Order: sequence, then structure tokens, then C-alpha cells
Amino acid sequence: MSETRFKTLRDTPLEDYLTPGSPLCAGCGGQLGLRIFHKVLGRNVVFVNAAGCLTLMFVYPYAPLRSSWMYTAFASAPAGAQGIRDALDILLAKHRIEPDEDLKVVVVTGDGAAYDIGLQATSGAIQRGLDFYYFVYDNEAYGNTGFQWSSATPVGSSTTTTPSSRFSPAGSLAEKKDLFEIWRAHKPPYVATVSVAHAVDMMRKIERSMGMRGPKLFIALAPCPTGWGFDPSEAIRIAKLAVETGVWPLKEAINGETRHTYIPRALRPVEEYLKTQARFAHLFKPKKQQEIINMIQERVNEYWLRVAEAEGITIKLATEVK
Amino acid sequence: MRHKAVMLTGNAAAAWGARLARAEYIPAYPITPQTEIIETLTKWIQEGEMDAKLVQLESEHSMLTAAGTASLTGVRVFTATSSQGLLYGFEMLYNIAGWRAPLVLVNVSRALAAPISLEPDHNDVLAARDSGFIQLHAETCQEVLDFILLAYRVAEDRRVMLPAIVNMDGFYLSFTREPVKIREQDLVDEFLPHYSAVNPFRASRHVAKGSAVVGGHIYSYFKYHMHEALRRAHDVFIEAARSFSRKFGELYHPVSGYMLDDAEYVLVMSNSFATLGKHVVKLMRQRGVPAGLLKISMIRPFPAEEIANSLKGRKAVAVFDQNISLGLGGIIYNEVLGALYGCPKRPEIVLSVIGGVGGKWLSVEEMEKIFDELKRLERSGITKPRPLFLFRRDELTHIERVLKLAGTIEVSHHE
Amino acid sequence: MIEISGHNIIIALTIHYVDEPMLLKVRFHGRGGHGVKTASRILGEAAFNEGLYAQDSPIYGAERRGAPVAAFTRISDEEILERGFIFDPDIVVVMDETLLNDWSAKPLDGLKPGGIAFVNTTANSQLYDYGETIRENLVIYDLTGLALKIIGKPIISTPSAAAASKITGIISESSLIDAVTSELSEIGVGDDVIENNIILAREVFRSIPETPPSTKLSDSKRELIPLEVVISYPGYEDIVSVGNSPLRKTGNWRVFKPIVDFSRCTACGVCFVYCPDAAITLRSDGKPEIDYDNCKGCLICYRECPPRAISIEREVRVW
Repeated sequence: MSETRFKTLRDTPLEDYLTPGSPLCAGCGGQLGLRIFHKVLGRNVVFVNAAGCLTLMFVYPYAPLRSSWMYTAFASAPAGAQGIRDALDILLAKHRIEPDEDLKVVVVTGDGAAYDIGLQATSGAIQRGLDFYYFVYDNEAYGNTGFQWSSATPVGSSTTTTPSSRFSPAGSLAEKKDLFEIWRAHKPPYVATVSVAHAVDMMRKIERSMGMRGPKLFIALAPCPTGWGFDPSEAIRIAKLAVETGVWPLKEAINGETRHTYIPRALRPVEEYLKTQARFAHLFKPKKQQEIINMIQERVNEYWLRVAEAEGITIKLATEVK
Repeated sequence: MRHKAVMLTGNAAAAWGARLARAEYIPAYPITPQTEIIETLTKWIQEGEMDAKLVQLESEHSMLTAAGTASLTGVRVFTATSSQGLLYGFEMLYNIAGWRAPLVLVNVSRALAAPISLEPDHNDVLAARDSGFIQLHAETCQEVLDFILLAYRVAEDRRVMLPAIVNMDGFYLSFTREPVKIREQDLVDEFLPHYSAVNPFRASRHVAKGSAVVGGHIYSYFKYHMHEALRRAHDVFIEAARSFSRKFGELYHPVSGYMLDDAEYVLVMSNSFATLGKHVVKLMRQRGVPAGLLKISMIRPFPAEEIANSLKGRKAVAVFDQNISLGLGGIIYNEVLGALYGCPKRPEIVLSVIGGVGGKWLSVEEMEKIFDELKRLERSGITKPRPLFLFRRDELTHIERVLKLAGTIEVSHHE
Repeated sequence: MIEISGHNIIIALTIHYVDEPMLLKVRFHGRGGHGVKTASRILGEAAFNEGLYAQDSPIYGAERRGAPVAAFTRISDEEILERGFIFDPDIVVVMDETLLNDWSAKPLDGLKPGGIAFVNTTANSQLYDYGETIRENLVIYDLTGLALKIIGKPIISTPSAAAASKITGIISESSLIDAVTSELSEIGVGDDVIENNIILAREVFRSIPETPPSTKLSDSKRELIPLEVVISYPGYEDIVSVGNSPLRKTGNWRVFKPIVDFSRCTACGVCFVYCPDAAITLRSDGKPEIDYDNCKGCLICYRECPPRAISIEREVRVW
């Protein structure tokens, strides 16, 4: 790996392009992710947004970013990015604008747009080799409309459309869609998962991708106090637990080659992560649903065993509670 | 005039319109009967005859999104679609208009599924009538080309800054060749100044576009603005059309008459079947019937005043709709009625005629029937006539046959 | 002015009964997370339980938890022929006093002469500052303090509805308690929490006096303007003053305020990195400076601070 500007948290750029006073929830993980992302990319960015919580950062006449912003539609932010990138390239090629007028084009959406309604547009943009960044703040449900199930919702999560009930005590039983692998299959130059609690890892990844031309894609786990049900002050702790329990692996794929950028020496039991959030409360109360918790643990274990084998390392798995 | 005509299809004329307008960016997606337009443009770009970038997107929704954002960034954008494609991208029509992105979209009209079909009617383009797009509907392949040039001029005018749809009928124009004058590039360049975007995305001057608006009064404010800008497009069009005629000869109008001056029975039409309408008017004249035709070229902004003025004092009027608003009837009929209401000397008899839906062929007999019906209504003093749905015996016979083949009606013993 | 006890004060109390058909319009102002919508529903349900006509509705803004929101309850002894926003309330319930200074919330806007303004506040004499603004009858109570004491959370839907119910003078305690039970059950609140809410409701209902508004049917007319005047400003929705969000001043969303003890601060920068709102900047010595005008009080900084140099205290009055 080449030399990085980001060795510790102290290397976080001081300059902020997010300005205080956005209307998003206190403790919003998605907005924190965007803030850090923006710090590394610099100011000369145009964000292309699809419907989601972050859309509401920009409620006329307020603009909480010092860069440019284009809200498109739920399904087509990557196509909006295509239009802006192509137009800037045309203008640059014809010398109608100076090179220093150029902007990095960054799609920013939630998981509803990224995993569901906008996946077709993303697939198209990656396949065409569009030179853009894609930042997904994944809060694992349709947070903006009140926390309905999305294909990013993990097993065991209750949402307003997959509540825990007499008929389905576990909440959602559908497997979370593996967007990282779907994107990777398109062979973009860069794709990574990141966490707001691992800012250095995140900043390094953005830095690494910046030298590359083509699609550069990031999925950030975005703790959502309102939807997940935790006190806003816990956002970073919960994001850390997601990584330490192995629920949210930190990895990257450069030209399709996957590498894990942080491997917990010993995975902590998923239960520690699950019990911090109201969306999983039904797994513990009124009766503990041990088999569902075990199932979630097993999936995590299977994943990391495959990683250990592929990357030739040893990982201490969390033991299942029988 | 210097222009020499060549034989062109409507699709080729549309491609020429984009080329002469020096469209720089063309997001594209194939759909019949539009596809030839983007194929032609691709060919020119590949052969170096046209300096533009054509990108094939993965859907019309994406195509229109890219078109809109590119236009906001400061390049002249052309795109084209049809029918299902227009509806697939429909959400973006309202967005593009709301963004005030003055691109030009050619719609090649085609009936909407279900049943899925290929031939034209105007339910597709008229579905977009409330979106904020300027709409110019062409009768001929020449109009297709010329309307594209006029559309850019009007759309990009700072008094307007709204997108435009130029509509042509599938098959009847798209695949039909007829003589078309390809306008001189240097004159087009004079007619169509460089496009300059409002607050384009630039590093030196950041801007946020498309922000959410909360508070109905702010939303209303911007919508009222768009409405007024679209209304202004009428006068801007007239100004542009005059300038166009000074360079190229033809003088276009939002509405235009054919044998209209002394006509007592008037047929109101738009798009390519207006040609057949003119033919029938001529036949009626030969038979001594004072018939005339009023062609509406500009559907948005709706030229209500000119329509009312053109129709005042007529004995009877028929409005021909090649569309059907299910549960209501003809769309243009209802808009014309709205234009007439309260006008002095308005015609007492206004007949709604529905024909050509799904590209149903129209015969002279059917068109003659319209005038017969107007005369009958006038004689009988009926002022609230039932709509006239055009259909022929030979068509019904054919339908009986296909229903039998489909097995949904019994085979007749007479056959 | 009648002093009841401690910080519960009623200022300029007037009781007046009207003969004309009653239409009582109550507008609730609070912040996302306060339970504003629920408050309007409890009041609506309580009036309904009394056998009256009632209508309740929220308005949704774009903002999230902490941002100004409003909800409406209409109560009448005959069919209600109005809907939507209440322009001319008889009673406004200001669930957070900081909203009094919010130009977009404008909680006192349109309050009828003779109407009642209820303000949830810890303030006593300080509230006289609003004397100019609140010319109408004012009722105050520290609902948040009581809610924190009884249910442990600053959720004040129940006590706000209780205050409004009592003020109207037409809703009985039993109708209120039934409404609290049914509305909270409907949104999935557990039985133990409902019990606490009932205690809270009774306490507020008994502490506040009946203060029916002495309003008349509104005869104020708002000026109308023609389209030409409406659109005399620019028609593009662009925002070129990017980075203007600090003007929103989200600092008044806070319930608790983070306070840095600079003697313990090691200038590690953790609070700065993890502030989701960029409300913390680093001074030249590397120590944090919190933008209290905009800090929403998520308290990530408090939770994450390695040397525990950040403490919290109940936010009383932001400005």
C-alpha cells in the first residue's frame, strides 16, 4: 500500500464542508459518514442525491454543504451523475470552462435507493465506467418514511413492515442483499465497506480510491438512532460493535480483488450488538429467541471462516450460545 | 430561398434538427418507432459529421435524468423517446421542468399498453401536458425539423427556461419520407444563439438545485412561476417564428387555418392526420360545403385565445382527438371547450370526434362523416351532441374474425 | 396574576363563557420527538370521549427529531367544517419555550384576542421577557421537568394534552385518562409506561386551572395578492448561499448540553471527528469549541470523550 495521509484520528482534515444546522436527527450516522467523506474529497464536489433521509439536509432555502448539490429522483441518482459528468467533460474538452472549474461527481443515497429502486441505474453507471463516487449510507431500512423493510434489512430486524408478531416472531427473515458483491461483480476499480466508527479506515479508503478513474463505491453502515432505537449518543459505540462482532466487515475490492482492511482478532458475540437496539428487542423480550440469535451468529461465523481461509489468517470466532 | 429539399423520414428530420441545433449531448435509449433517430445521430457522431456525445442509458428514466442534469450543467441536450418510454421516464418530466432545464425531447407518438401496440395515438404525449414542457406537435416531416430549432430557441430564452417536447406521429411521420428542406447551418447558427445555463455547476460558484420544499406556499410560488414562464413561451414563440421566417421563409403559428377564412364548418386537428383533414376539407369545398380546418401546433402553452378567435362565428365545429381520456373522452375537445366558454359569438355546436386511436387507419369516408354530422346537428338544432367515435364496417368484420381466431366468440355458421 | 405553587404560574387569568356555537381550535407546537402529534390526538380523543365533535391532525415537515413541528385539534359541539392548518387558534400549546423565538414555527401567530397561550417552561420571572410577545392570557408549567421525574424521558405528549384539556374547561379528568390509555396503547407503549403517563396526566390536570379562552369567531382578514405580485421575485429554486444552514440554529433542539472541562481535555480530537453536525471545531490548541447555536445535543462527544472531559447538564434556556 502506498503512503497514506491518514495514520490516526488526529490526521482528520480540520476543514469541514458540512455546516452545522442541518435538519437531520441528532446523532445521524449517515450525515457523519458524509461529513468525513467530504473532508477527504475536498470542497469541489457536486453531490447527486436520490430520495432518502439526506435529501432533507437540503430543505429550501438551507444548504448545509459548502459544495454543490443536485437532488434527482429516487431511482436515478447515478444517471444524474452521468449527465453532470458528461456535461463537465464536454465543457472541459471544448475549453468552455477552465480545468479548475471541474467537480468530483458523488452520488449519495440511502440503502433504499442503492439496494432497491436505484440498483438498475447504478448497474448501468458502473458498467459504463462512469467516473464517479457512490456513497451509500446504509441504515438497513427506509428510514426517511419511518423505517420500513428494505433489501438491506438484516435478519432479525423488526421494521414497520416486518414487525415481530405472533406470526413472525423474528421480524425480517430475509437475507440482507450483498450489495458489495453485486457491485464487485461489475468490476469497478474500487468498492469498499466503511464504518463511521472507523474513520481512519474510511479516510484511507477514500484516499486510495481518489487516484482511480471510474466508479468508486462505498457502503457505510449508518447507525440510525431513530430507526434502530438507541440513544443518539450511542451511535459510534454501536457502529464499533457492528465491526467487532463481525456483523459489518470492513473490506475493499480493487479491480475485483477483495481484501479485508480490518480483522477483529476475536469476534465478539453478535448478541452484544443486537441487544443495543430496539429493532432487535423482540429477540430478547418477552422471551429470548435464542435460535434466531444463533442463526445470526452462525451466518457471521460462516462468513469469517471463509475470510480466514481466503486470506490465510486465523480468526477467533464468538461461541454460539446453545 | 437557398434551401433544397431532400426526401427524409420524420425520424431523419428529427436527427437533422438535433444536428443543426448543434446538440452536444444526447442521452439515448431505444424504443420503436423512435430508435432510428438515435441510430442516425450515432452514425453521424461516429463518422465525425456531428460533434456530440451520445450515451446509451439503461432506461428512459435514467436517460431523462441524465438529460436534465447535463442541461443544468450547461450543454445543449437532445433526446428522444416514444410511448411506454415516455411513461417510464414520466417522473423525470416534472423534475426536468421544475429544474428549468431547457432541453428538447422528441416524442414519436405511439399508443400505450395494454394492449401493447406500435402505431400512434396521442395518449402518450398528452399525458405529459401538465408537466411544464412546451409542446409542439408536427404535421409534416418539415415541421419536425423546424419545430426542433424553434423549440430550442424558445426553451432557452431566459423569459422561459423550460424544456420542450416536439411530437411526431409514429409511422405516419417517423417512417414516412417526404421532401424536407435541410436548413442552412450558418443560418441556423444565427437563429439559435449559444445556450447559457442559469447557475451551472462550477467549482467557483457552488449551487444546490432540486432542494426539497416544505411549506405549500413556497411550492405554489415556484409552480406559479413555471406557469407564467410557460405562458410567456407563447409570445416568445411568435417572436422566434418571425425571426425564423425571415431566415428560412416558413412562418409558423401556434394555430393555423386551412381554407378557414370563410369556413362555416370547422374541423380542429393536430399532428399528422391534419393532412388528411385538409384533403377532406378540400373535397367538401368542391361539393360546395364551406368547410375549413384549424390546426393546433402548440399544445402547451395552450393557445386558447387564438383558438377562440379562430372559431368565433362558425356554424359548427368538430374537434378531432386521436386520443381517449377514458371516462371523459377527447382531451383536446375538452380543452377547446374551455377556450370557447364565455367568448362572444362562440360556436353553438362543438362536436367531439375520436379517431385514429392506436393508429387506426382513417379513411376519407370517416372524415367526410364528420362534416355530414356537423350539418345534421346544425339542421336539428342539437347543441350538446354525443361524441362521434369513428369506426368502419370492414374493421368490425375484421374484429369478428380475430375474436373468432382468439376463441372468445363462437364461429359463425354463415362463413 | 395568580401564583399557584413554586414555578407554576398563571398570569392574567380570565374566564369567559361564550354562547355562540363552540369551535375551539388548539394548536400544538413542539419538536420532533416531543410527541406533538400524540398530544393533539389525546386531546382529540378526550374531547370525543366527552361526546363532542373532534378532529386532530399533524403537519409533517422535512425535519427530524428535535425540529419544530405542529399539530392541531378542533373541538366543537357541532359538525366541524374546517380542516388543516389552524391560522387562528383559541389555544396554543407551546411544548418548548425556545420555539417562541423561532421565526419559522411562530407559535403565537394568529392567536385570537382572548386566547390562551400555554408554555412549557422552567422559567419563572424570565418569561416576562415575552410579555411583549404574549399579550394574551398565559399559562405556564414545567412539563419537561415533571416528565423527566415521572417517566424519565423528555416526552411530553401526555402532559401537554393534559394541560390543554384542563385549560379548555370542557374535558373531564376521566375522559382525559381514557384518551391517554387508548392513544398510548395504539402506538405500542407498554403498560408500565402508560401507568406513569397516567400519573403524569393527573398531576398536570390537577395543577392547572381551567382557563377557557374568551375568544370570538375570528373576523381578521388576511390580505390577498394577485399573481403578478406573487411572482415578482426570481423563479429558480437554486440555493447559491451554500453553507447557510447555521442560520437555522438547531441548538434549541437540545435537552442536554455538553460542556467541556478544558483542564481534563487532552486535545485528542475524538469529539471533533465524531460530531455528526460539524458543530465542534478545534481551536489552535487542538481543544474543541462547541457551536452551541447549532449543537443538537446528540451527546456523542460526551459518550466518546476518552478522558471523560465532557459533562452534560439539562439545557434550560438556549437563548
